[in-house]
Formats: sequence, structure tokens, C-alpha cells
Amino acid sequence: MNVENALPEDPKKVSVRLGAEGICKRYGSVEANRDVSIAVAPGEIHAIVGENGAGKSTLMRILQGIEQPDSGRIVVDDRPVELTGPQRAFALGIGMVHQEFMLAPDLTLLENLVLGDEPVTRTLGPASPIDWRAALESGERLARETAAHVDWSRTARNTPVHIQQFVEIIRLLRRGTRILILDEPTAVLAPQQVDDLFELLKSLRDNGTTILFISHKLREVMALADRVTVIRRGEVQYCSLVADTDAGTIAGHMVGGQGALPVAAATPETRHGVSGDVVMEVRGLTTPVVEKSHPLHGVDFNVRAGEIVGLAGVSGNGQNELVECLVGLRAVDGGTVSFAGQDITHLSNRQRRTLGMGYVSADRRHEGLALEASVEANVIAGSQRKPPVRKGSFFDRGAMRRVAEERLAFIGVRYGGLGDAAGDLSGGNQQRLVFAREIASKPGLLIVSQPTRGVDLVGIAAIHGILSEFRASGGSVLLVSEELDEILSLSDRILVMADGAIVGETSAADADIGRIGRLMVMQGAGDG
Amino acid sequence: MIIDQVIAASLTLTTPILLAAMGGLVNRQGGIVNIALDAKMLAGAFVAVIVSSMTGGWFFAVVAAAVAGAVIGYLFSLVITRANANMIVAGLGLNVLVAGLIGFVLNWVYDSSGTLRLPDVQLLPKFLPDSVSSIPLFGLALSELEPLTVFAWLTVFALPFLLANTRIGLWVRATGNAPQVARAMGISGRNVQDFSTAFAGFFSGLGGAHLALASIGLFNEGLTAGRGFIALAAFYFGRDRPIATALVCLLFGFLDATQIRMQTAGLPPKLIGTIPYLMVLVALCIAGWRNHRRKAVAP
Repeated sequence: MNVENALPEDPKKVSVRLGAEGICKRYGSVEANRDVSIAVAPGEIHAIVGENGAGKSTLMRILQGIEQPDSGRIVVDDRPVELTGPQRAFALGIGMVHQEFMLAPDLTLLENLVLGDEPVTRTLGPASPIDWRAALESGERLARETAAHVDWSRTARNTPVHIQQFVEIIRLLRRGTRILILDEPTAVLAPQQVDDLFELLKSLRDNGTTILFISHKLREVMALADRVTVIRRGEVQYCSLVADTDAGTIAGHMVGGQGALPVAAATPETRHGVSGDVVMEVRGLTTPVVEKSHPLHGVDFNVRAGEIVGLAGVSGNGQNELVECLVGLRAVDGGTVSFAGQDITHLSNRQRRTLGMGYVSADRRHEGLALEASVEANVIAGSQRKPPVRKGSFFDRGAMRRVAEERLAFIGVRYGGLGDAAGDLSGGNQQRLVFAREIASKPGLLIVSQPTRGVDLVGIAAIHGILSEFRASGGSVLLVSEELDEILSLSDRILVMADGAIVGETSAADADIGRIGRLMVMQGAGDG
Repeated sequence: MIIDQVIAASLTLTTPILLAAMGGLVNRQGGIVNIALDAKMLAGAFVAVIVSSMTGGWFFAVVAAAVAGAVIGYLFSLVITRANANMIVAGLGLNVLVAGLIGFVLNWVYDSSGTLRLPDVQLLPKFLPDSVSSIPLFGLALSELEPLTVFAWLTVFALPFLLANTRIGLWVRATGNAPQVARAMGISGRNVQDFSTAFAGFFSGLGGAHLALASIGLFNEGLTAGRGFIALAAFYFGRDRPIATALVCLLFGFLDATQIRMQTAGLPPKLIGTIPYLMVLVALCIAGWRNHRRKAVAP
């Protein structure tokens, strides 16, 4: 036997730390991955980009051992391995940070850190007492190495998202992760926090950790990655060193493949000069301190006719609570909301809708749509009390169908049949369905929260078009989004929310991403 | 003195509820709402009477009752965690099943309908010397103190520590709080839940043993009188925290004791007997209202 082979491999000599070769995976008639091959070199940051539904998540599930490929193989440290399950992948040093953070919300950060791998003072099997001091020491040491400040005694629920993300990364490193997979890690972060995360990832890379980074934000890929692979419709379209390519080329491969697309990140459209009458006025709005939410501390702003007001902020600083108060889903304990010249602070959601308010919920799957109900029922919902849908005590089925078809066609929702479940539509079409319903009654004001979450590039463009047209026809929009690019490209005015209050306002013309970012984290929820 | 008697009776009547509630709260922290505590108490009482009569030893009887409860709990858990049965429907089924089986065995083996009297049943020993009964107010309660009541209260104060500082305690809380997180961290949520349900069965069995062996020394089909459900209400109201839950149990024990006194005072017994259950309803309404306020739902 060759002596060299018996020695532990020199990590420097490995050429592929994590690789996939000819992976195929189909679900029924859908080919989620078709002959996908990637190779991630040791100590590189490798970005995988593609639209929603391109097959990125399937590939990640395979690399993590959650799903087995139909054919093809996985390579770790140049050797083919069989990832029989997540535990096997974990044992090989592959760890993943999901979009949904894997922290138990009611446990402290320290408890989350050690969960499943607890240091003990005495070995008594499951009854072993946990050595909290050793746990804290290991947490502090890792936090120091990654230059993060973590209050370990806080519960995960009360921790700002970027700290939760740090903790999750630290937890993986503590368990010996050498290959870190991050799924859209910047989706919930403010720009400065993104910078911090990138610094952290770069320092991890420099210390030998290999990073696979899934994203659809080209700016971030260009800023962070060493190499990029583009996946479209289940196939690898393109792979290049980031230094040898540009964003336009990558975008072209993402959406259609014919050469470069102009990257129009923020195409400022001709905007109305700030003009119309005040449609909605919010004064000193406060909410009680309640569990699982962020209280509002005196929110003041207004929305005028014919403008889109963007509300930017780091996730969890009171945006959802504000929206719920405005549409009548959450109790208020101080301040007023007036709309269409009337005090609506204590009106029900139905009364507010009657006055001309439309609402596109951030939670499309639970609040925006009844996924198991038909497309028709979803697009009619709310109009069932009045003719033509209602005729006497019954529904007029014919009129109902006609109205539904008109509404769906007006926005261009693509669907099979009216009777199909709303949940069968793609994310983008589901969201268009919500818009079709909400703008059908010609509301004066649309309150729109996270309208493009989970929507592909084509769908995003369509939804942005809907919002611009709605404004052009004289409607007002309050646009709440964690996508700063979206806010910058659509809004006439931009408000920044932090810690339950509006902390800044700027017109779109003077918008400065650096300043907005600083405002977002200025008072950010307890910022570690 | 009446006050002495009420204190002593409250403490005694609290113990079975308290034991079942301690088991049930661990179970609920682990993510399973166990509405079959009553069945396990009934089984525990039944087994305790039989084993106490057979061996003439209270200790074996108590251990057998706890083991019976734990085994039933474990099997019940398998139905929920492996066969994916709905925990409420399965729990209802278990309550009916255990009551029916015990009635059947009573009839078939002991040729009795409803009540089981056996010779040589040894009751739980009262271990403090009689002289303590001269202590004002609490003397009577102290003189009637038996091992299960002491154990129940030791559990109340040990549980918070165990839940916070042992691996299994952390696993139980993690599984109940975020099962997918626990699974991702390599913890088998199903095993942890099976453990917590067996734990609840163990303590409910002890509660049943206390009901049977604290003073009466016989088994009756209606012995638990819904105390498993009162325990359920107690840990709901106590929000799964051992000490808060124990205080609620004490309140229910006190109400039970006072209603017994009121019955002897000549008030209509059936009507007065509903007081503890009425209070359970009130407690649950308060808990629900408190929860509602906490979430601040708009009207």
C-alpha cells in the first residue's frame, strides 16, 4: 500500500472541496435538476444564482443529503460520497444556513448554540447536567473570532435578525462545518449588516472555510463571490470567475440566455411632482407591548394622492405591526389614523375596505389567499355581498365567472381553470391574483407589504408595472418592503422605520442608499 | 378546628392533581397536549390497590402504579408520534378505552361492578410523629403528610432546575418550541416526545396511587372524578411553569376541600360538588382572555 495515501490528505492539495457531477432529479413530470455539475474549490466563495424555481433549492437539498439525486454523484474532498441523510452531510462538514433561521425562538441564544451537542459537567446520558460555563466560553470565543457581539442570554425571538444569523453560523462552525452553504443570506439584512456579513464570510474563507452562497442579487454576487454558477430551468447555464465576468452577462444567462442584458437596477421613471391631497394621515400611532411583536412608538406620516410612499426598514422593526394597524387587524392604544377625511382608528377591516382601502399582505399564503380555494373564489372574495356577484340571497354563478375572468385578464394572471386551487399557481401568479382582487374595487389607497417576496424576475417586473400604473391612474400606495432596490425604484417618497418609529424621510430624488441604510440600523432593534 | 382540617384536606386533595399536572406540563413543554392524564390516573389507582393488596407494601404499589402509567403513556405516545394520530382524538379514545378496560377487568376477574375492595391494602404511611399535630394551624396537615405529597412538592421545586439544566430538559423544551430546529440539530423529536409522554404517564400513575392509597384504600370507577382534566387546566393556567402550576393546583385542592366541608354543612352536595369544575372553566376563560390580550387582536 502506498504510504502517501494512508496519510491524512493535505487540505491544500484537494482540488474540489464540494462538487456535484451530472446530478439529475425529477419530481413527477418536472425536471428540477438536469445534468447539473458544479465544483467548489477549497477556500472559495462560490455563488449560485438563478431565478426562483430554477432548481437552486433542489440542488441545495441534494448537497445537504435531504434528497437523493436520481442519478449523478456528490464529491467531497475529491472523493465520491453518498449523502444518505442530513446527518451524513453534517458529519462530512457540510452545514447550511437556511432562509428560515433554525433557532428555537423561545430558547436563549446560548441554549440554541449548544442544542444537540451540549458540554456536560458529568456524563449521565440524557440526564447529564449541562456545563453552561463551558458553553458560554465556547460561544464567546467563536463570537470573538468572528468579531460579533452577542448577548447569549437573550431569547432568539428577541434578537435582531443579523445576530440570529451570526449565531447560526457560529453554531455550524462549532460543530465542525468546513463547507458552509447560505441560502439567500442577505434577504433580511440592512445594507450595513450585509457588509458585516460579507466581512465575516470573507474572513471565514481566509481561514479555510469553503462557502456556497445562493442569491439572486447580482450586486452581492459581484461584491462577494470568487466564482459564480448560473442555473436556469434546472440546468447549469454558465460558470465563471467573478473577476472575468460582469453583472450584465450573468443576468443575461439568468433570464434568457441571449447575451447580456442591461442591468437596470433602478430605472427612475418619470414621477409626478409631489402633489395631491393627503389621503391617509397617521398621527402618534402607538401599540401596546405584546408578545411576538414589535410595539410602535408614535408613528407619524401621511400618504398623498397619486404617490407611492416606500417604507424601508430592517425586518422586525414594527413594519408588520404598522401595516396591521392601518388595515384594521391590530388593536391600537394611542394616536389616530385618518383616511378619506374620516377617523378610521377604530374601524374594522371591512369598514376600511368600504372606504376604499386595498391590502396586499406580506403573508400571501395565509392572509392574502386561501390557497386551497379556487382561483375564482379568491379573486371574487370581498365582492360577494353586492351585485352583480350577488343576486337576491344567492350568487349569480354566471356573473361571478364573468367578473372573475375580467379581473384576472385585467392584470394578466396566468391560470389553468377558474376552479383550480390558488395554491397551484406559481408564486408570481399568486401575487398577481391578489392584486387582481385588490385593485378591482378601485381603491384610493393600496397598502402593499413585501409584494415581490418569492416571486421570479418576470413576475417582479409585472408587479412593479401594476404598481406604477395604479399610481398613474391617481391611486396612492404605501409600499412596505425589505428589498431596498424595490423601494428605490418605485417610490416617490421614502420613509425609514426603525424600532417602531419613522426615523427618517427622503424624497426619491435625493435618496442616498448609504444614508437610508444608516437610518435603518441607527436605532435598530437593540442592535447587539 | 375547621381551619386546620381545611388546610390538611386541601394539601391532601392537591397532591394527585399536582402530580398529574407536573407530568402534563413537561409533556406540553415537549409539544404534546396530553388530555389522557385522567386515564393514566385511573389505571394507576387500579394497579396500586391490586399491588398493595397482593404485596402488602405501599412502596411496590406506588412504583407499580407509576410504571403502569408510564407504559400506557409510552404506548399512547407511539400512536401519536409514529402513527401520526391526532393527539386530542387519541387522548379522548384512551380515556374511554382505559375506563372500559378497567370496568371489564373488574367485572371479569373480581366479579364486581364499579368498586374494588381487596383485603390487606396498605395505605401510604404517615411518617411524622403524632406530636406534630399540636402545632397550631398546620399541625394536622403535617401529621397527615405521606411520602407522595412530599415527593410531589420536591418535584415542583426540582423541575424548573431539571428543565433548564439537563440535556433532556433542553431537548424537551426545544422539541416543543421548534420541532424542526430540534430535528435539524440531530435530536429525535419523536423519542423526546415519547419520553415526555411516558414521564406524564409516570406522574399521573403516582397521582392515581395517591387517590387510592392516601386514605380510602379501595378502587372505584369514578375515583378520579375528572382530576386529570383539572390538572390539564392547572398547567394551562400556570403556563407550563412548575411553581405557578403548583399554586393553581393548590387553589383547586382548596376548593375541593371547602366544597366537601360545605356539603357536610347541609348544602346540596351535587351542586356544591361542581364548584371546582366551575372554577376550572373560569380559570380557562381567564387564561384565554389573557392570551388574547397578549396578542392584541383588533376587534
